[in-house]
Amino acid sequence: MNAVAMHDESAVHFEGVSKRYPHFALENINLDLPTGGIMGFIGANGAGKSTTIRILMGLVHQDEGAVRVLGRRMPDQQAAAKLDIGFVSEDMRLYGALSLRWHMEFVRSIFPRWDQPYAEELLRRFDLKPQQKIKGLSHGQRVKAALLLALARRPRLLVLDEPTTGLDPVARHEVLAELMAVLADEDRTILFSSHNTLDVEQISDQITFIDRGRIIDSDDKEIFLDRWRRLRLQLPPDGAVPKLPGVIDVGGSGRLPVLTTNRFEPAMVYACNELGATVQAVDTMTLEEIFVANVHSNRTQVEREEVTV
Amino acid sequence: MNFNMIKRLIFKDWYLQRVLIPLSLLGGAAALATILYGGRPGFILGLILLITVLVTTSAMLTMNMTVLERKEQTLPFVMSLPISYRDYTAAKLLGILGSFLVPWSLFMVASFTILALAPTHSQGLIPYVAIMGTEILVSTSLITAVGLITESQGWAITAMMIGNVALNAFGYLVAHLDGVSRYMFGPVARWTPLAAGLLFAECATIALMLGGTFLVQSRKKDFL
Repeated sequence: MNAVAMHDESAVHFEGVSKRYPHFALENINLDLPTGGIMGFIGANGAGKSTTIRILMGLVHQDEGAVRVLGRRMPDQQAAAKLDIGFVSEDMRLYGALSLRWHMEFVRSIFPRWDQPYAEELLRRFDLKPQQKIKGLSHGQRVKAALLLALARRPRLLVLDEPTTGLDPVARHEVLAELMAVLADEDRTILFSSHNTLDVEQISDQITFIDRGRIIDSDDKEIFLDRWRRLRLQLPPDGAVPKLPGVIDVGGSGRLPVLTTNRFEPAMVYACNELGATVQAVDTMTLEEIFVANVHSNRTQVEREEVTV
Repeated sequence: MNFNMIKRLIFKDWYLQRVLIPLSLLGGAAALATILYGGRPGFILGLILLITVLVTTSAMLTMNMTVLERKEQTLPFVMSLPISYRDYTAAKLLGILGSFLVPWSLFMVASFTILALAPTHSQGLIPYVAIMGTEILVSTSLITAVGLITESQGWAITAMMIGNVALNAFGYLVAHLDGVSRYMFGPVARWTPLAAGLLFAECATIALMLGGTFLVQSRKKDFL
């Protein structure tokens, strides 16, 4: 498939995007989110998730590179693009002095695809009272209200910037459950940013890690989970840790090293055995463990490169 | 420019300020009544009250409609709507000016009417009142420009203070300019070249400040 055709199918396409601030820089971001895909965008606080999302929404201009969202050039065509985008961010607030009903009517008057029966259904599911003023709502209720306003406009692209941050476990579960229900619509594309890997793991089919302003890894979730493993070895006396391709970290101690690999294949077990080590266990890794290992590995590599330079 | 969205944003802001405008009208009406029926001391007191009402309304409108949007974090919600920076800026400029022009125009017309019809034959004051009324618009434009461009409460308050000090100093200065003061207490309004020039300069300053704000905002690279 050629590059142009790929862009046509992408709901979100970033190509060589950079943005520089005095104390932070987003460097050479390349990102492709196909239509219907659900991407979990994971990074620590300050990694560049929100800046990337603001560039996606046209709210921050990139210094370099091209951004296309739903086929529109950003930020130039942001007004047209945002007609098809539902956006909820952790720092988004609604007007405290006004009711949820007012907000629903306001958003309804703007978005032609607003689905009133669905909005009413979401009110029931989220247990929200439309006549209640926003300032009287709890944080969890406010997030649900913002989510309702984004979902009921039936967007083609849903952009969620840390929507579950600060929610109690019950509210988080309800919000995630609703997002899972939304996933039934195969044409809707979702970009979900969070530093909570558990939330992202539940709903995403693609994962992208960002750290210190750079995308450090991006792949299908299943492939991620398949290719990352921890190998617990037992070495013979005076035996050395086997040198295998794809090992990014060696932990453990003495004769019981633990190898972390991001390119696991069953053949690695045989290779270890042939090199004299006994593989005691091959552990799968959670997304959180993969994320942390990935970040550490990337930072170590960058520091090595900086020392070399 | 998305004029439909600009209109919706203006109506949204006006709805949010729906209490402030009637309150200012009420305060202005009280001031005008004091001018009309308070005799000589009432005339001075009413005039001070009227200026206070206009300055307070201007300050509250500009603060509520510019800086508060960022402070209360409602800006991400507004910017998630199908609008560009230019649409947002146009809506704010037109919304603030439009809402402030309602009480301002009413009070100016009422003041001119009182001066024209008053038995004390004070029509000579009309140019001075027009110049000072327009100066309040200059001050409103300054706070709006600073509030929108800096999005900072501190800078907006500083602009407000500068605007108020400038208003008083300007009022004193203009009242002592020969081209204005000579006919100020006469029975007929005299638009000397100086008085007309001052009014023109004020209008040009307003246009420059608002146009400049639109230009600066259109070139902004980070909106959130």
